[in-house]
Amino acid sequence: MNAPLHSGLEHWLSAPDDTPAPDWLLEQRRAARVRVSAQPLPHSKEEAWRYTSLKGLLEQDFSAIDEPLDALQAEDLDAVLIAGLDAHRVVLVNGRFAPELSTLDALPAGVRIGGLRDWLDRDPESLRGQLDTARGESGAFFALLNTAGLDDGLVLWLERGTLLERPVELIHLSVELDEPRVAHPRHLVYLEAGAQATLIERYVSLGASLYCTNAVVEVLLGRDAVLKHERLQMESRNAFHLTSLYLVQDANSRYVGVNIGLGARWARTDLNTRFRGEQAECLLHGLYLAGDGQLLDYHLDVEHAVPNCRSEEQFKGLLTGAGRAVFDGRVLVAKHAQKSDAAMSNRNLMLSEQAEIDTKPQLEIYADDVKCSHGTTVGQIEPEMLFYLRSRGIDAARAQRMLCLGFAAEILDQLGAEAVREQVAEAVAQRLG
Amino acid sequence: MLSVTGLRATVGDKEILKGLDLKVGPGEIHAIMGPNGSGKSTLSHVLSGRDGYTVTAGSVLFEGQDLLTLEPEVRAQLGLFLAFQYPVELPGVNNTYFLKAALNSLRKARGEPELDAVSFLRLIKEKLKILHLDDSLLKRAVNAGFSGGEKKRNEIFQMALLEPKLAILDETDSGLDIDALRVVAEGVNALRSPERSMIVVTHYQRLLDYIQPDYVHVLARGRIIRSGGKELALELEEKGYGWIDAELAA
Ligand SMILES: Nc1ncnc2c1ncn2[C@@H]1O[C@H](COP(=O)(O)OP(=O)(O)O)[C@@H](O)[C@H]1O
Ligand SMILES: [Mg+2]
Repeated sequence: MNAPLHSGLEHWLSAPDDTPAPDWLLEQRRAARVRVSAQPLPHSKEEAWRYTSLKGLLEQDFSAIDEPLDALQAEDLDAVLIAGLDAHRVVLVNGRFAPELSTLDALPAGVRIGGLRDWLDRDPESLRGQLDTARGESGAFFALLNTAGLDDGLVLWLERGTLLERPVELIHLSVELDEPRVAHPRHLVYLEAGAQATLIERYVSLGASLYCTNAVVEVLLGRDAVLKHERLQMESRNAFHLTSLYLVQDANSRYVGVNIGLGARWARTDLNTRFRGEQAECLLHGLYLAGDGQLLDYHLDVEHAVPNCRSEEQFKGLLTGAGRAVFDGRVLVAKHAQKSDAAMSNRNLMLSEQAEIDTKPQLEIYADDVKCSHGTTVGQIEPEMLFYLRSRGIDAARAQRMLCLGFAAEILDQLGAEAVREQVAEAVAQRLG
Repeated sequence: MLSVTGLRATVGDKEILKGLDLKVGPGEIHAIMGPNGSGKSTLSHVLSGRDGYTVTAGSVLFEGQDLLTLEPEVRAQLGLFLAFQYPVELPGVNNTYFLKAALNSLRKARGEPELDAVSFLRLIKEKLKILHLDDSLLKRAVNAGFSGGEKKRNEIFQMALLEPKLAILDETDSGLDIDALRVVAEGVNALRSPERSMIVVTHYQRLLDYIQPDYVHVLARGRIIRSGGKELALELEEKGYGWIDAELAA
């Protein structure tokens, strides 16, 4: 017996059928389903949904994908590959792991990468106590839905002290089906003590498809572990995209996140981070570009639960046409989390009169010996900068693009691989016309 | 080359240029001197097409073309160059990328092919040497965090690269110590040619010890009130600008 889902979301979950899930996981899924059914839909009276309406999403009547799509050939992938990026590649098509499109040979010892579904089939007990733990007791609506529909995704697991040199590239490819579909990919990244890796997580599509991605990424960083995590949301401009990151960091670990948001018509990103051990560091960088018919909504929840940790949140936005974006960043410093260091900034460049930004950085500090700051700006291109470039013969449109890319450079420079950096810069430039 | 006649320009409702006349022939160097606030930068900006100024009367012809109707980039493509009094910092805009974009825009406008990466780099290195500038400058963002002297040298470096027909140097000497001044002046002198004209705007005659002008003009209260040869600069140096008020009052 399944609890009924909300109107507009009736078909978001398929009947829990053939997923090779162990009992404990089935129970977790069931509980999530019960909980999400009992909960009201997010609405604008909730602080976290104040600026973002679900109306457009609910109108679509998305349905869950039950069958894997086998029709894709390796050549179909060419359109979305980044030339010159050397990486261990994991491909998901419409939320399902596609081993024939993935290249996972030559993995060094101590590195395990695979599809979640396969993993649950082969070695379910290894995930017990890891999978769906970073989320904690969170009642976030769409993360619960993802849990209820949890089925496939990436598992990246590095054993103690393993250094993975080549980045892992996760391509989340969406292909339009006969009717609009929703996928609930779940990714688990677990770096044991002292392990180091780079994960490049890409959301892309073939064509201008209409679909919905509702992803959850869990990251567990053991003591001294280091993860560079680049997330490129370059979905189809017709797509809806929801993603929640749950990051838990042990002592002395370091997380560097870069969140690029260019695609989707409606995208909601929740980044939840929590320090569990001292001397850990968490850097969250972001760049979003919202144009006509686009809403990009970011929520950061950074929890300094223990003393002596450092976090830095730096998000930049470019808004063109009638584009809209939301930045809602919250840093919480618990009472005993002394010597916390947190710096949050959100800077926006408005390129049109119709563009709109709602920005709300907040610090909630209960400790008394901390170093915390936040700042936000909303500005335009400086006319004298534009004139300087034009006085050198560069036409106005190009000059504006150069200045926008200059504004974005601080974030783009955080992307480790030159091929990725160039691809993203190119995509930004293209969007700026 | 350049012919300015009866030029009047306002900012807001304040008239700053009040009927200015100036003729510059090919290969000539004209110095424009004048007290602070006399309208020197305003003239430079109006000639190069900066927003915010309204031309209410007069004309500006550059090689026979009416400059005032053209966009700033088109003026640059025709061969006009302004070395800014206050070069603008462009955070995040890489210098090499900027220089390449500028040079190739000019080449494209002239119907020349874009320079390939190797020839471009060779050219850049050659020009850097003229201004005693270090390679590392190329990796930095345009003017961002540059010292005052570096900024001014970077302006002349751009001029060396872009090879304009008419360069306007707006107080390129201000804020430079004597060594930097010498380097900048050497750079400018290296660019002198029978086809290249320059308007050297300065508050002090010090720069003119290094860059020998053909003509010197005194700009005061929005007009050229005196013109002459080099000796006029020396006279100004001796007497200061105080006499202007007396003269204008008379
Ligand atoms: N944007 C502006 N708004 C108002 N007044 C201006 C502006 N730009 C220049 N001015 C005024 O015009 C006059 C001439 O300025 P400027 O051309 O910069 O002089 P100079 O370069 O000779 O020192 C000054 O009185 C200055 O205050
Ligand atoms: Mg001036």
